[in-house]
Amino acid sequence: MDCKFIPSICSYCGTGCGVLFEVIDGKIISTLPMKTHPVNEGKLCIKGWNLHEHVNSFLRLKQPLIKAFGRFIKADWDEAIQLAADRFREIIEKFGPDAVGILVSAKITNEENYLAQKFARAVIGTNNVDHCARL
Amino acid sequence: MKAKVKRWLEDGSVDLFLGYKMVLGHPLPHCFAKDKIEEVDDLIIGSSRYSLEKIATHISARKPDIKIGMLARDCNQRALNVLYIWNQLNPENVQTVNVNCCPSNLKEHGDCSYLEPETPGIYKQQVGMDNTHRTQDVEEYDQPERLSRWMYEFQKCIKCYGCRNICPVCFCRECSLEHKELIGTGALPPEVPIFHLVRAVHMAGRCIDCGLCEDACPVDIPLRLLYRKVNEIVVNVFDYETGSSADQSPFSILGDKVALEPKPLHIKRAETINSSIAPQEKN
Repeated sequence: MDCKFIPSICSYCGTGCGVLFEVIDGKIISTLPMKTHPVNEGKLCIKGWNLHEHVNSFLRLKQPLIKAFGRFIKADWDEAIQLAADRFREIIEKFGPDAVGILVSAKITNEENYLAQKFARAVIGTNNVDHCARL
Repeated sequence: MKAKVKRWLEDGSVDLFLGYKMVLGHPLPHCFAKDKIEEVDDLIIGSSRYSLEKIATHISARKPDIKIGMLARDCNQRALNVLYIWNQLNPENVQTVNVNCCPSNLKEHGDCSYLEPETPGIYKQQVGMDNTHRTQDVEEYDQPERLSRWMYEFQKCIKCYGCRNICPVCFCRECSLEHKELIGTGALPPEVPIFHLVRAVHMAGRCIDCGLCEDACPVDIPLRLLYRKVNEIVVNVFDYETGSSADQSPFSILGDKVALEPKPLHIKRAETINSSIAPQEKN
């Protein structure tokens, strides 16, 4: 019997509540609020309380899918990224870079958000960057 | 304490020991085991409480015969008693190291019941229910005021289910609070006061007044006060002090002995019968 408690940060929004995963035999079985975390002081919202559910969900995507012939087909990352890059290039050549927009997220880190806007401005060449929290 | 835990793990009287350990500057629950016995040197009592007994129920649900040791404050001990009664843990498989209660404002090692919640702000003092109130303080308000103060508290609810999730004695697989025919879905605040009253009723004879629910409530609803009131009724009617022993609860309808008998009420009833008979005799 292997029982561990893993401290982490809630990935749902930008608040950054401290959570504690209760892991028994390699499976996350519950999420607890971290009592001493300065952000949430032992409290969580309903999304935070159920953080472990999407990890264990059988609907969770674990690898990229490519839509071909009207169906989603499992693919590897290289293949999926190559396809996305090719299609973006096609669109940019045909309609210009402002035909592309990048939506960033509170669920990724500050650094990843920075990379995403850099990718939009420097690689694609557009200022169309937006965020789900700016609704 | 550390020597005792080491001895227990070594001689196999417990397979696992639930305690606390400092991780990244936070006192977090930790599961100590024989194969990493050197970790026991880091065992601490911890300044914050987690429901170790709830974790123990999760472990024993997967491996019923496992022997679990745990640090137990007074509230943990009461919760364990309730869990034994409701067959969620087997008392033969649980060993505790009893420790002092959490430090409080009043006493460094005060009993948890003395823990003082934060003093509420001016607005809450005017329209809401003070978390520091005792049940008798609430009764000083007249009924309409009491209702409006409770309703102010309940309508703040964001339905996070934190009170239920953190509760050491909430273990039902199917929860009334999630039953869409009992409590409507899709709106916030949830159906008040039904949502809170359903939970309050279910806390009768279950709540061990640990205060974890109030700690976990993001909107500071005085839940502990509400459940104290419910349990005050349980004491008055059934003479049952929840969590004080592992004897069967008057609410249990399973097992060898069914004890739905209201105890002091019985005496009261006899008195009222006598007094109602008495005038007739006179006539």
